[in-house]
Amino acid sequence: MNAAKTCCCQCSCRLFEFLESSIGKKVMIALAGFLLCGFLITHLAGNMFMFGGANAFNHYAEALESNPFLPLAEIGLAALFLLHIALTIRAKFANMAARPVAYEVYQGKGARTPGSSTMAATGALILAFIVIHVATLKFEVGGSKGPDLFAHVTGWFKNPLYAGFYILAVAGVGLHLSHGVQSAIQTLGVSHPRYTPMFRKLGLLFAVAISVGFASLPIYFGFFHHDMACCAAKGGAQ
Amino acid sequence: MNLTLKVWRQKDAQSDGGFVEYKIADVTNDMSFLEMLDILNEELVAKGSDAISFDHDCREGICGMCALMIDGQAHGKDKAATSCQLHMRRYQDGDTITIEPFRAKAFPVLKDLVVDRSAFDRIQAAGGFVSVATGNAQDANAILIPKQNAEKAMDAASCIGCGACVAACPNASAMLFVAAKVSQYALLPQGRPEREKRVLAMREAMDAEGFGHCTNEYECEASCPKGINVSNIARLNREFLRAAVLAE
Repeated sequence: MNAAKTCCCQCSCRLFEFLESSIGKKVMIALAGFLLCGFLITHLAGNMFMFGGANAFNHYAEALESNPFLPLAEIGLAALFLLHIALTIRAKFANMAARPVAYEVYQGKGARTPGSSTMAATGALILAFIVIHVATLKFEVGGSKGPDLFAHVTGWFKNPLYAGFYILAVAGVGLHLSHGVQSAIQTLGVSHPRYTPMFRKLGLLFAVAISVGFASLPIYFGFFHHDMACCAAKGGAQ
Repeated sequence: MNLTLKVWRQKDAQSDGGFVEYKIADVTNDMSFLEMLDILNEELVAKGSDAISFDHDCREGICGMCALMIDGQAHGKDKAATSCQLHMRRYQDGDTITIEPFRAKAFPVLKDLVVDRSAFDRIQAAGGFVSVATGNAQDANAILIPKQNAEKAMDAASCIGCGACVAACPNASAMLFVAAKVSQYALLPQGRPEREKRVLAMREAMDAEGFGHCTNEYECEASCPKGINVSNIARLNREFLRAAVLAE
């Protein structure tokens, strides 16, 4: 009994030590990031139903919302976001403390990328976007969803400010991923002279695909095919 | 050529520092960067001023003592070279050069451009060694080591501990240094018996010194005078993950 208790205590101490370590924190950020990438893929795939018209999108949304496991998945998703953000903020503060006196001149030797040097800024932009996105499209702040989600979403996309911010935010997601994917792979200890350059290119490709995929929605439904959106919305309400 | 130098001057570890501007004339292309500082120091001493303190030893790019942040680049503008191997032919008449010490909480400034890098010694002392008796020199092929492993271990062992990785890192992380020291043993059979203990102890020592977290921006690799590859950081991450699970 005592031996079991000691073992359990040792395990939790080890886990705590791992999570507190600089590398352990990074590993958890990377794992959460990867899982969030999985969410982005499924979310984008679902959103693509919008191009199938109001019926297709509304049926998809209905099927999703009637799934009894959805609240559980949403809680898990929120937990992933919070873990990713909380650990990153902790690491950021530790990094700031690690160089209390800044350089007068800092230019480095060209290894930093636009994505890597703007991770905090794009992260903050994405967080602001998520708050607005969830408030407007899930919690119906600024307008009720009603039975026709397609009309609700396209209605928001017709607001140029909303569409512009959406496009800016998904560009931020792309920039974040352009560094994040390859960084997470490295943090998880995966490195190979042949595959690492390929992973870096695939990471970039993924970043571009995600941002272009998401941006296509406000661009198409916000600025083009107004009539089609209108007709499709009618179709959805029938 | 005539140059303007903006040099960080700090009396001691307790005092506040600041930049002082110096004009230096008749610098030739053949001078090394440190020789140019020597000449400035001779002028300062002749005037009765305090010479600029900076670390240096071998002046052959081997020892890693000459730690200078020159115009925001660790060891100056050349790649895979230490400050002492930087030559004045890389500058032009009228240039202004800003010279700062390596900046990190774990590398406190002792005087002017000299920083205390003993944090690296403490990390190394925590586990960067093989404590098992390896005996006398063996027959060349008594312990078989794949050639690529021997080469990777040798590349990692070429780290001179200058601290440029920390200086260049936007987060003042020491991951490349620790990665090199962990890798040089993890790749060889002699280092394997203590691999878990080593990586756990060195990681703990690294964090205790107050270095930042690695965000994989790879400025360390770009600034390393010995060209230590960031694949070593992936190996350190792997070794740490392995040890976190397997260590008894």
